[in-house]
Amino acid sequence: MNPLRTPFWGVEWAWLFYLLAALALAALALGLWEKISLWAQGRRAAPVASHKHPLGAILADVFLGRRIWRGEASAGLMHLMLLWGFLGLFIGTCAVAVDHYLVSFLQGKIYLWFSAGLEVCGLLLVMGLLLALTRRWLLPVSRLERRPDDTLLPLWLLAVACGGFMVEAARLAASRPPWEDWSFVGYGLSGFFPSAQAARELFPWLWWAHAIISLGFIAWLPWSKLAHAIAAPASLYLQGQPLAVLAVAAEEGDLAALGLRHLLHLDACTRCGRCVEVCPAAQAGEPFSPRDLLRRARRQARLKYSPLYRLPWLRGRRQALLERDRAADWEVAWYCTTCRACLEVCPVQAAPIEMIRKLRAGLVEQGSTVPPQLMDVLEKLHRYGNPWLAKKGAKAGWAQGRDIPDLRKSGPEVDWLYFVGCTTSIDTRAQGMARALSDVFTHCGVSFGTLGKKEPCCGDIARRLGEQGLMEEQIEATQALLNKQGLTRIICTSPHCLDTIKKVHPLFTEEGLPLQVLHYSQMLHRLWQQGRLFFDHPLPLKVTYHDPCFLARHNRLVDEPRQLLRAIPGLELVEMADHGLNSLCCGGGGGRMWHEIPGQANLAVRRLEQAAATGAELVVTACPLCLIMLEDARKTGGFEDKFAIIDLSELAARALGLAATDREAETNP
Amino acid sequence: MKILVLVKNVPEVAEAELEIDQGALDLEDLEMVVNEWDNYAVEEAVRITEASGGEVHLMTLGNEDDEDVLRRGLAMGAHAASHLCDEAFDGSDPATLARVIAAAVKDGGYDLILTGVQSADLGQASTGVLLAQELGLPHATMAIALEPGAGEVVVTRELENNTSEKVALPLPALVTVQSGINQPRYVSIMGIRKVRKMTIEQIEADDLGLAEESLGAAASMVDSQSLALPPMGEGAQMLEGGLDSVCDQAAAILREKGGLA
Ligand code: SF4
Ligand code: SF4
Repeated sequence: MNPLRTPFWGVEWAWLFYLLAALALAALALGLWEKISLWAQGRRAAPVASHKHPLGAILADVFLGRRIWRGEASAGLMHLMLLWGFLGLFIGTCAVAVDHYLVSFLQGKIYLWFSAGLEVCGLLLVMGLLLALTRRWLLPVSRLERRPDDTLLPLWLLAVACGGFMVEAARLAASRPPWEDWSFVGYGLSGFFPSAQAARELFPWLWWAHAIISLGFIAWLPWSKLAHAIAAPASLYLQGQPLAVLAVAAEEGDLAALGLRHLLHLDACTRCGRCVEVCPAAQAGEPFSPRDLLRRARRQARLKYSPLYRLPWLRGRRQALLERDRAADWEVAWYCTTCRACLEVCPVQAAPIEMIRKLRAGLVEQGSTVPPQLMDVLEKLHRYGNPWLAKKGAKAGWAQGRDIPDLRKSGPEVDWLYFVGCTTSIDTRAQGMARALSDVFTHCGVSFGTLGKKEPCCGDIARRLGEQGLMEEQIEATQALLNKQGLTRIICTSPHCLDTIKKVHPLFTEEGLPLQVLHYSQMLHRLWQQGRLFFDHPLPLKVTYHDPCFLARHNRLVDEPRQLLRAIPGLELVEMADHGLNSLCCGGGGGRMWHEIPGQANLAVRRLEQAAATGAELVVTACPLCLIMLEDARKTGGFEDKFAIIDLSELAARALGLAATDREAETNP
Repeated sequence: MKILVLVKNVPEVAEAELEIDQGALDLEDLEMVVNEWDNYAVEEAVRITEASGGEVHLMTLGNEDDEDVLRRGLAMGAHAASHLCDEAFDGSDPATLARVIAAAVKDGGYDLILTGVQSADLGQASTGVLLAQELGLPHATMAIALEPGAGEVVVTRELENNTSEKVALPLPALVTVQSGINQPRYVSIMGIRKVRKMTIEQIEADDLGLAEESLGAAASMVDSQSLALPPMGEGAQMLEGGLDSVCDQAAAILREKGGLA
């Protein structure tokens, strides 16, 4: 006898099955249609280019789940088993349909291997599901939530898989075909049926139960978090898209006009909680979670753009939910420090930094819920070009007694523009960085100048706070000045200026001067490599290095500062628990430097606890905001007799034996 | 309800270094901003109309650059704006200004007129009240809460020593608004750009039918003679050091001079 599959073997009422199947497929289609129609609206709002990331890497992320393995092998294994089990069974089911309705090919050897393959996939799926349930319920994987559908979904799928095995076992027990051991799981289970007769009688019941559970699952699929099966690959495919310059008018409203990529993110997120686990605000116990923000955004996007919510009887509910979400968003919009830790760990590249910026843009535009401290910062930025002082032309105080060319007046007869930045030029603690750097540059023979007391703001703070219009004005003004003076090579003190000038400014410049923008640590590293910077004053100190988020994560600069530190004779570098790309934010980004949220935890204190654990006597960083935040936390957190905080620029000046700048003396241990 | 809010552009001086140039404040390095009290008044008016309908009109008296203060108010949600702009108004004292404004306002049909308690630059706190006088309207000053009702407005006035009183004024009425009555909204650059195309009514002296002699310095009873920064007093003593040390020193001085029992 030729081995082959007999569909509807021993089952009557096939028409009923077709009816139920049609209903399930209709639900599936409706769910998919809703999503696709949403995504299509997003695509119209902000068109996307094709993939910007190497295709091989994208495929590995999708089919091997590479980002899921990171940091947690059991999660990676679970996902791999589920993915391939599910995919195998899906392909198998399609093959059966083709065999039945189009061309019959599942016969003989092919059929036997096919059966065995499906057994493997079924087993993978069951094992993956058991592992998933174990992780959520038995192991303390604290980032996982325990919402009803988190449990129902795997149980349901487990019922589908086990049901399939039972149906098969009953069929084998009833008919005992000679090739039965190819279906090794079903064959093993078939022994549980007392007789062929019993199996034959039970078979239709099992078959129908399996059919109904499976069809139910199909109907639920697009409405559940398994929709990530489509959205996550799409989101991974679209990672690394260039920043879009949306006409600001298109960004109007709260989370409106999200664009395809962000709408995909909403469905790609599986609420795995990795973002919550690393978010400095969430971890410090603040009432904020990037995952919840994304979930709310997803609901809002559906409420606003889904064709389903245009149905008259859903409208009232829509309005009520929108109001509630909006109020919730107002409350949490300002916690994020834009540290990018969430995006670093998110398996589907969906974490919500950009979305938070859009949310803020909506609130700023609407105006009445902007916290007064931030209003004050924005107004200062607008009127005086800095977030600190209600005073113009206050940016050259640090340079007193130093003869530095003012490039606003004289143009490019120097090689480099040193862009000091608002905070470095004004804050008394951070001014030490500017003094140290200008001394180091002079010492190494770098020809540089600054923009003097009226250096413009690069627009970073306005951008992070969602003040789009102000950001545009500041960028345009800065670029106009740079163009006029022919300045194309820039060194920044602040990683924040670096990020904005390097990534955002080019979107607003038509002239498109070939900008070369470096962080000062890159510049010092270069000088060191060229042999122009030689640390000749040993510093026998144990130091630890705090990676600024905007240097490490946003700009991938982690080795340069460390190599410089190691180049200082006598200095020993020890690492904190979180370092490099996993650095823990000091809490000063995203405008929080200027915003004291009532009852907020001091994020920088948590960072200094890590520093204290290393036993270092000096904490080095490379960003004015980090420097100020850590310095404050050192005082308020009781670390004063443990270590001092210093910036890499100041340390470099000391290792060159340059006259200690006034401030350093105070902070030396 | 039709509400008129009077607003003024003033230099922001809180942290600035001031210089007097030929008897006048040197505005070169100063930023012009909306007078703080007026900002609260605009916010209050916009909130009233947002809650119960109506229209907010803005009016300022000043030079061409002062149009900014109107744009800002429009971006906050005001519906229309008028700009009294004429060299003939220069040098007017509050009473003369009130006459000019009254001429521009009298046929406007406003139910409620709001002004700030005072302006941050001259701080005379009198133009608003004088305007009420000119228009023959009931008025209340120092409002820290407004409850508009049918035909009247109930005003909570801030008084000395943490006390307040409530008064009911029949409409139309004029109220001067104290700071802190609300939290004014942020005005974004985009918001201002969006109202760039709204037309602002320009009003000159001729339009008001006022004779030139009744305007400006000539018609005013008060004249500004000169402006000077207060001289640094002899007795001023700057305490140096950290917060605790400054407090200790201050307490010691008070004790020494008999200020503390
Ligand atoms: S945003 Fe990413 S990391 Fe956060 S819960 Fe969703 S999938 Fe997980
Ligand atoms: S960027 Fe940082 S602070 Fe913001 S949500 Fe992500 S992890 Fe949290």
